[in-house]
Amino acid sequence: MALSRREVLQRITVGTASAVATGAATGTALSGVGQAQEYPVAPPAAVAMLYDNTRCVGCQSCVAACVEENKTLENAPILGLHHTNLELNATTKNIIKLYKPADGKSYAYVKQQCMHCIDPACVAGCMFKGLRKDPKSGIVTWNSKVCVGCRYCEIACPYHVPKFQWQGWNPKIVKCEFCKERQARGLQPACTSVCPTKAVVFGQRTELLAEAKRRIKESPGKYYQDRVFGETEGGGTQVLYLSKVPFEKIGLPDLPPESVPEKYLKWQKRVYSYLAVPAVLYASMVGVIRGNWKKHQQHMNEEEKITGLRPQL
Amino acid sequence: MIDQWERNVPVYDVPIWTRPFIVMCSLGGLALLFVTYRELAGLGPASGMNDAYAWGIWKTFNTMTLTGLGSGAFAIGIAAWLFKRKDLHIVMRTACLTSFLAYLSGLALLGVDVGRPWNFYWVFTPWRWNLHSPLLEVAVCMPTYAMIPLLLENFPPFTDWLYSHKPQYRPFVKKAEEVMIRFYPFIVGLAYLLPAMHQSSLGALMLLGGSRVYPLWQTPWLPVLYVWAAAFLGFSCVAGTLLFCSMMWKRPMDVDVLVELNRLTAGLIATWLMFRFADILFRGVIGLAFGFTIYAGLFWMEVIFLSMAVWMLRDSSRRRDPRLMFHAHVMAAVGGMLYRFDPTTLAFQPKPGAFYFPTPIELFISVGFVALAIAAFMFLVKVLPILPAPMRLWYRMEAEEKKAQGLERFVAAD
Repeated sequence: MALSRREVLQRITVGTASAVATGAATGTALSGVGQAQEYPVAPPAAVAMLYDNTRCVGCQSCVAACVEENKTLENAPILGLHHTNLELNATTKNIIKLYKPADGKSYAYVKQQCMHCIDPACVAGCMFKGLRKDPKSGIVTWNSKVCVGCRYCEIACPYHVPKFQWQGWNPKIVKCEFCKERQARGLQPACTSVCPTKAVVFGQRTELLAEAKRRIKESPGKYYQDRVFGETEGGGTQVLYLSKVPFEKIGLPDLPPESVPEKYLKWQKRVYSYLAVPAVLYASMVGVIRGNWKKHQQHMNEEEKITGLRPQL
Repeated sequence: MIDQWERNVPVYDVPIWTRPFIVMCSLGGLALLFVTYRELAGLGPASGMNDAYAWGIWKTFNTMTLTGLGSGAFAIGIAAWLFKRKDLHIVMRTACLTSFLAYLSGLALLGVDVGRPWNFYWVFTPWRWNLHSPLLEVAVCMPTYAMIPLLLENFPPFTDWLYSHKPQYRPFVKKAEEVMIRFYPFIVGLAYLLPAMHQSSLGALMLLGGSRVYPLWQTPWLPVLYVWAAAFLGFSCVAGTLLFCSMMWKRPMDVDVLVELNRLTAGLIATWLMFRFADILFRGVIGLAFGFTIYAGLFWMEVIFLSMAVWMLRDSSRRRDPRLMFHAHVMAAVGGMLYRFDPTTLAFQPKPGAFYFPTPIELFISVGFVALAIAAFMFLVKVLPILPAPMRLWYRMEAEEKKAQGLERFVAAD
């Protein structure tokens, strides 16, 4: 059947249009998937901690309880009489630090541990899911049977939380795992269970967020910017902070509302979704190479006839 | 006299045990001793790495930077097979061998660098893969590339050697080559797809570093800039190796092929530089390049090295001066390596007060693994037909071989 020019044009137009439409639909579907699945919101039953530094007296009970529960004590450095860490490191999963302004204004404490981000950068980077976010409780846990020890989590974490054991042949990643064994037994984490002033409390994330907002409403102006750190920062965290001094002063970075993976890995994810782009690239390259390959073989055979030597591929 | 590279010929007239070869071997051996220490004592005592700079030069230099130099098989292969630069087929064996050794050395050191290497077997269980991790992409793609397509690309010199030195294997060699030839386009396609993926993902690794990477380097285009830099680094590495070997072992040079390599390298660098500046301008961080900081200094060092390289490549092609060409390619390699190294270490600022400098042991191991690759290269080019040469060198080699055999027979009869 011979096609008239008009028919050919029509077919090409229809074909192109439908291809574009399919592409657009796939694109929309993908971006929809992106919002619904790739960058999750907090699970409904997410557990959380709320730390309020207007209540913290710096007694370090939580540090002692953490060390006891997680048995990290043996290796901790000794300063004077006590085992004391100055920074989060492989011998402590929890630390209380003091911010003392130079101008003599009132000082503030800060409790540091894993923030259990809603979209954690460490989990996004981890190759074999050695770090994993529990879909129910939202706790970020580490698995010694899977971790390769590449330390990408240390590169990725915006809060500088995961720490690596630099000594010995069998190193581990050390970070707060929200006392998951205690929680399994129906107990609350060691640090929140011992706090004498209830500066750090344990609960459901939705409840604690409401509680934090209630405190802000009760005494406006008491808290920095009347803001709960962790509600939206870096995609949101499961450890929430209320502070009387600026958050940057107590080591909480100024992060945009989008999470680190969302901000930086968006295009990486799109290019590799369903491996479609690599597959098309491979198919077209093989097509071109096969054409050139035949010519190259002919050329080699001719050479062989002239020189009488074995052709070199 | 104009020489033409027509056939790959072993460096048959140089003994294997030379002084540089012994030095490289002993450096490598020493490095392996230090590796034992690192495995027993842990990363802390052996290296300068710490919780702020969790990645040291083993990852950032030996793997992320040097496999850029090892992208010759990828870059020149694409030029030869996809863009029909027929002249470049003759240098493909050099490209494939340098690439294979660079990858092997980098991957081996990666195994030393990771803390729990015994868990790496999960790479064989796809349901364990975190498909969105750039590091997974690197961990799966890089060994796959080195162990399948790149290794197969390196087979022809070995089959040549078997064919000429072990006549009893000739039927086997012929059969193997028949199979190989049937699947070759598919293998070669894979040899370009996989590096394109993992060389860009090496750049994507630093994306998750977020604000730790200085804004002059941190860009969504980092993967593209990385793979592009790998392309011209691959060209420079192969051209530099060819020039260096030819000058050192006094082998004739095909200036036309070298000029072609120079032209492509210069073109790649020039477009890369334009792209880099466009990205910086578009993101509005050009002001940072004019600050009085070490980062601005590093940035201009890259730009100056690479622009100098473009100019020198063109100038040396015009003068057809191999020595100048070699200097130009060294310049390009230094500039490109600096670009790939900067965002990982020099322009990487985890937090105030953080400091990293490799320990002597760390440096020794890093240098030693490079030395092992160089030693392997020196050995293999003397045994296998890798380096290109004019046809007359092949005939001369055959004549000398016959002469040596004749002499042996004479001695035996006596």
